[in-house]
Amino acid sequence: MHDETDETITRITAALRQPPAVDPTHKARVLVAVAAERERAREARMRAARWWRLAGSMGVTAAAVVALMVWRQKVVDSGRSATRANAQTVAASAPASASTAKPAPSATRHLAASDAAGVAPLPVQLVLRAPAAHRVSVVGDFNGWDAHATTLERDPASGLWSGTVALLPGRHVYAFIVDDSIWMRDPRMPQSRDADFGRPGSVLLVGQP
Amino acid sequence: MSRPPALQLIRPTAEASPVGGSAERSLLVRAAQEGDVRAFAGLVDMYYARCLRFALHMLNDRSDAEEAVQDTFVRVYRALPSYVEQESFEPWLFRILANRCRSAGSRERRRAEFVEFGEVPDRPSEHRHDDAIAWREEIAIALAALPAEQREAFLLRHVEDLSYEDMSIATGAGVSALKMRVKRACDALRSWLTEERHARRD
Repeated sequence: MHDETDETITRITAALRQPPAVDPTHKARVLVAVAAERERAREARMRAARWWRLAGSMGVTAAAVVALMVWRQKVVDSGRSATRANAQTVAASAPASASTAKPAPSATRHLAASDAAGVAPLPVQLVLRAPAAHRVSVVGDFNGWDAHATTLERDPASGLWSGTVALLPGRHVYAFIVDDSIWMRDPRMPQSRDADFGRPGSVLLVGQP
Repeated sequence: MSRPPALQLIRPTAEASPVGGSAERSLLVRAAQEGDVRAFAGLVDMYYARCLRFALHMLNDRSDAEEAVQDTFVRVYRALPSYVEQESFEPWLFRILANRCRSAGSRERRRAEFVEFGEVPDRPSEHRHDDAIAWREEIAIALAALPAEQREAFLLRHVEDLSYEDMSIATGAGVSALKMRVKRACDALRSWLTEERHARRD
């Protein structure tokens, strides 16, 4: 069997090969969606890493408890030649050793508390002057680069768009999306050198003196 | 008082050339696998137009096609760590895209069950304004009338220039089955378009 490329098929193929009209805003949305996916994957990795750290610390505790129980069992075994009353005393102490596993949850609470204490978010107001815009949103590492997550509100008198976001202390990269089509950095803030997907962003330092 | 800076318009990146060089593509794929986001953006630039063209011909609806393309690139990004360079990138990409188009096509068919008779699209002959445009419309209708698997095979072979081996990777079908699909698609298109032209002349 062979490809049938007569004149009709050649003409059809030529018409179908014409490049389609490309909407550049859609292409930008594709990159935003990919950036959001990357952020989701990063968060999932961080959650998994936290879980493994926690599981690891609990595993160490559990291993210590098991080792203690084995050691106590050896003590019990070696004490079988002793009196029945002595054996009962050792057996009665076993539940007490199991309670040594209790520090694990309290350690978890401590870990969570220290995490919570270290990452209290701070309110930050983002402002853009764009009197002619119909819609302005913010994308950044803090909202998963989701163009629909943080929409700014317009002040009709001044033409300023503003919104407040709660940001963890540290360095953040963000940008504005104007009318769902124009990706622009915040002109009043320093430009990020690690522009995501080739798009410019601005750097914001939160909690810095 | 200093005037606030005006909106800084970001010029969209230059349109992708239909086919990038294989060396450039390999470099981009490898860099993207290592987490270089600019390299991934380069791959999007390189393949966006081709993917959109394929999805438009498969789905015949721009918003469905754009959604399928966006979903494809997100899935490619997600699956990139598992991509092995011995595989050819294009059939791997088109496999994901073809799957998305099939899913979107199934949704479209379910929707079409509720279309009333009065909403059947007009024939292009009623709006003939230019021969080239009319010809493209005729092709679009003839293509849409093909069974999805024939349409997919025809587009991959004759429009996207994939070899039958690569088409086999992209579709999961065997080479001889694909050759048969392409042949039947060619026969149906030729027959439809020749009859259509004759009908219009008469």
